[in-house]
Amino acid sequence: MRPETVLAFDTSAAHCAAALLLPDGRVLNRLEAMDKGQAERLMPLLQEMLDEAGIGFGDLTRIAVGTGPGNFTGVRISVAAARGLALALGVPALGVTRLEALAHGLPRPLTVIEDARRGAVYLQVFGPDATDACLLDAVQVPATARTPHLTGDAAGPAALPPALPLAQAIAEIAAARSLPQPRPAPFYLRGADAAPPSDPPPVLLPG
Amino acid sequence: MTQALTFLGIESSCDDTAAAVVRHVPGQPAEILASIVEGQTALHAAFGGVVPEIAARAHAERLDHCVEAALAGANLRLSDLDGIAVTAGPGLIGGVLSGVMLAKGLSAASGLPMVGVNHLAGHALTPRLTDAVSFPYLLLLVSGGHCQFLIAGNVDDFERLGGTIDDAPGEAFDKTAKLLGLPQPGGPAVQAEAAQGDARRFAFPRPLLDRPGCDMSFSGLKTALLRARDAVIAEKGGITVQDRRDLCAGFQAAVADVLAEKSRRALERYLALNPPTPLLAVAGGVAANTLIRSRLTALCDRMGVRFLAPPLALCTDNAAMIAWAGIERFRLGARDDATLAARPRWPLDQTAAPMIGSGKKGAKA
Repeated sequence: MRPETVLAFDTSAAHCAAALLLPDGRVLNRLEAMDKGQAERLMPLLQEMLDEAGIGFGDLTRIAVGTGPGNFTGVRISVAAARGLALALGVPALGVTRLEALAHGLPRPLTVIEDARRGAVYLQVFGPDATDACLLDAVQVPATARTPHLTGDAAGPAALPPALPLAQAIAEIAAARSLPQPRPAPFYLRGADAAPPSDPPPVLLPG
Repeated sequence: MTQALTFLGIESSCDDTAAAVVRHVPGQPAEILASIVEGQTALHAAFGGVVPEIAARAHAERLDHCVEAALAGANLRLSDLDGIAVTAGPGLIGGVLSGVMLAKGLSAASGLPMVGVNHLAGHALTPRLTDAVSFPYLLLLVSGGHCQFLIAGNVDDFERLGGTIDDAPGEAFDKTAKLLGLPQPGGPAVQAEAAQGDARRFAFPRPLLDRPGCDMSFSGLKTALLRARDAVIAEKGGITVQDRRDLCAGFQAAVADVLAEKSRRALERYLALNPPTPLLAVAGGVAANTLIRSRLTALCDRMGVRFLAPPLALCTDNAAMIAWAGIERFRLGARDDATLAARPRWPLDQTAAPMIGSGKKGAKA
């Protein structure tokens, strides 16, 4: 496998997270907690990390981005930036979900359970009986989570800590993927919360 | 600065995903090398209006495709450009953010300078893109989201004479269509119905016409239409096709009356500046309404002012106007760095008193 130079970033929650994988095996990680301001901070943060590694955007061979689930706006901030970088550099951008990243490097079979707010969780099983990610009522979880290993912020006291910083996990997963891959797209798992209008149009009479 | 400039423009502040490439050689007319606009009408049709989250989702996944299509249409690569202009507000923040972040990614990776553009400035500078008009001119921006009179004194000098204190006329047309069971967008549907209707049958108010100044209000008109409709329904159990035509005609006539009279007042104030070549330009989708257009044309004829309505594709939201505004601002030295912020609220005339959204977060537009 050709050594890749992968820049990964994630703003799907209250942070700017970034990681840089270099061909010589070095890994740089950055994590800045912030409730807002990710859109203003993300690109300077990436530039600082490239400066520290002594490379430029033009040296990157892959872009990796966290696609959520998480804060809708936060996810779009990173996905849009990743698509812009990929388009201008002519390199692939790959999307990695938060659940895949949390599972990375942990023993299987594994269930990832993340708080989805409003009494719900995001859940995905990794291993022999793997499932797609889904959104569940929190009360349904005990019946579903039967794997020996658990992780995630809603997985309870038995939850394993993540094996790697989030952005590094995103970078490593993306580095190992075969190409081509679809463009990164936000992974919402929730609808847009829009309701059709409640007032029906008037009855149209003949004549 | 006299160099030729070629800019990419990116627009995503409402429900159109757009990218364009514009070139300008000083002393020559600007050239739109490509202009891609992907509308989202179908996505929002079931909801009777633009749903911000649905719009944001579409922008995030379509914008880069639009940029690629615009570059292909212009037969250029990013490295052939001189800069990137992006709408940084005002508008639906989810969409604006997608555009701004795409632009930041493109700019960081290509090394091209980036210029954040006020969406309203894009509309306001369009007469210079299409017709190379000179400052100062009067602009009536009248769309689904905006309605205001601006004197464009320079690229970054706009004086707002007045505008709507509530809904924009385009929004009122959409709501009228919705209340009458007509398709979206409401402007063309209401206009088509109105053409066969009697504007005198229903009495609609002309809000704020009795007050001095150029401010307008359209939300009361929408309520009046609802009441008139419900009165007909109470009487007959529904509305006939002719009722609908007459309601549309009455509503449209009221909007046209208000816009024409307020335009007259705005023109008086503008003409007091003694502009050498007086001009009223319109922008925004409502400028496509033929009754409104004919009233404004007649008004300008009477007052000795040139009337300019850019082609409809450049009146409604598009990215060519953003690329052009970027070129104009770039020539004045404007540059933005990677900390460029997306702004949901960003009045073009920072000195004017806020008309809408005058809460603690300040004026919207």
